[in-house]
Amino acid sequence: MILFVGVAIALVPFLYVVSTSFKESTSLFSYPPDWIPSPIFWGNFESLFADHPFVQWTLNTLFVSGAVTALKLWFDSMAGYALAKMEFAGRRGVALLLLLSVAIPISALIIPMFFVVRYLGLLNTYWALILPPLANPLGIFMARSFIVGIPDDLEASARLDGASEFTIYRKIVLPLIRPGLVVLGMFTFMLQYTSFIWPLIAVQDSDRQVLAVGISGLQSAFLQDWGLLSAGMLAAAIPITVVFLLVQRAFVFNDLSGALKE
Amino acid sequence: MTHIDPGLTGAQMTLSPEEHRRLAKRYRRRTTLTAYAFLGPNLVAFVVFLLIPVVWLLVSTFRTGGVLGPAEFVGLDNWRDTFSDPLARTSIRNTVVYSAIAIPAVFIIAMILALALHAIPRGGAPIRVALYLPTLQPAVVAAFIFTFVLHPDFGVINYAVRWLGGDPINFLGDTTLALPTIAGIEVWRGTGFWTMMFLAGLTALPGELYHAAELDGAGAIRRFIRLTLPLLRPTFYFAVIFATIVNLQLFDSVFALTDGGPVNSTISVSLYIYRSLFLFGDIGFGATLSFLLVITVLLLTGLQTYLLRHRKFRLTTRPSTRNAALTPPRAGLAQAFQGRDRRSRCRT
Repeated sequence: MILFVGVAIALVPFLYVVSTSFKESTSLFSYPPDWIPSPIFWGNFESLFADHPFVQWTLNTLFVSGAVTALKLWFDSMAGYALAKMEFAGRRGVALLLLLSVAIPISALIIPMFFVVRYLGLLNTYWALILPPLANPLGIFMARSFIVGIPDDLEASARLDGASEFTIYRKIVLPLIRPGLVVLGMFTFMLQYTSFIWPLIAVQDSDRQVLAVGISGLQSAFLQDWGLLSAGMLAAAIPITVVFLLVQRAFVFNDLSGALKE
Repeated sequence: MTHIDPGLTGAQMTLSPEEHRRLAKRYRRRTTLTAYAFLGPNLVAFVVFLLIPVVWLLVSTFRTGGVLGPAEFVGLDNWRDTFSDPLARTSIRNTVVYSAIAIPAVFIIAMILALALHAIPRGGAPIRVALYLPTLQPAVVAAFIFTFVLHPDFGVINYAVRWLGGDPINFLGDTTLALPTIAGIEVWRGTGFWTMMFLAGLTALPGELYHAAELDGAGAIRRFIRLTLPLLRPTFYFAVIFATIVNLQLFDSVFALTDGGPVNSTISVSLYIYRSLFLFGDIGFGATLSFLLVITVLLLTGLQTYLLRHRKFRLTTRPSTRNAALTPPRAGLAQAFQGRDRRSRCRT
């Protein structure tokens, strides 16, 4: 019962968007609002794909989110392995520094980040969108918490067999933490897909922009064209939903809270 | 294998102390190098995109802009300006009020939904997907959806209000209603995420404890308060920290919904920082406000760590150790998305 109410509240606003996206903007204000548009109007979608670089935005978003996710999973799992399994000078210091910086709000750093990225000459490029998110250390701790659970004997025996640390990482650790990485990957992808403030600042060129910023631009460019806006939102929701549905079949939802344990 | 030194047989396998020390040192140095190679890419990103910006922020709080002319050292002027600026105070208050509404609300709703999902034996998968859909949307998208749903003239909610005989409510145009409305929209968007989080925590709880409690005659509510809440402490700890960090950065939905209005009643710290850079070009001021935000979040998360990890619950139970002892590490940590739970399921 509670669940049905929850699902209804979660979904009804989407129905509204679906219905609006197939209406002509002039018929939107009919009162009372009718849920099923008649006749079905495709003009909003036509205008979305013809007058705006919507496909380009989608591709940009998928490319940037995909690149960030792939790089982060790779780097974070390596760093997590080092923090979880290696004894080295300065380990506590590095861990403490990274842990402290988990709490640094990224949006407080937009001004200096803007100047750093400008100094590097990366403003208005894909690099400006891909590189800064890599600094977020939360993923390292999540990866570390997956790796800590692997029994030490496993790598010890591999080490006796002459495996290098990198081989151990690739051949033993990575396969074992895959379920965790899927969750971490989905989490990273989602955060990236929905990120807004940084792309808004770092990229001015409409052709290189991501979906979230692009759609919000639809509003200012065409004031209150609800039909077009709804079509944009509906079309923007489809890729991430598909990705989520694909991943969720293989989803063992690990408890990410382990990241900050201990 | 072929190069076994003939001298190294039997009793002579033990190393002399100096030899041992030398080899151990070499081994340690090699491990350290490998470790830093593994950490390398992350550390570079960390230094360039986190450490340098933070240091830059701190330095900028003592200087003027530097967009038009060279930056000059101005001492504590920026700090004085920031603290005496009424809009800065408003933005801080709005951000705090927003977080104080949104975080508890989303946690309570998500907890109720997670408990309900945990209680049904089968068929949860479509419900989980449906609940998760809002979370997958960018905040701007959620914002536009709700501008429409809440519209005073043709939104569904006001249609219902009028049908019931009330006057239409201008949710986003009212100075007292706008901020709670934005919090409500963020709750709508965040519920799916936290439901899955809590569900993951719930599924990982040891069933044996619940059976024992049930045998001892503990009712459902008592089991929830005495067992579930303390056992979920690690999940709550993560949830509180993460939610604090994210919510204090409120920007997207305000930017899309009200742009701080009406009459600055919804201006958030992040929005003000954004304006100070791109509208006023006052970098010193923006940097000081940013630095304040960093300090606030650090202090708050530090305080939460202190409260949630080191005190209170510790006296009654030791969930982290008990949890670790009773559940195999990672095994079956919440097959929240799989819909089947090999562990015995119990009413919580």
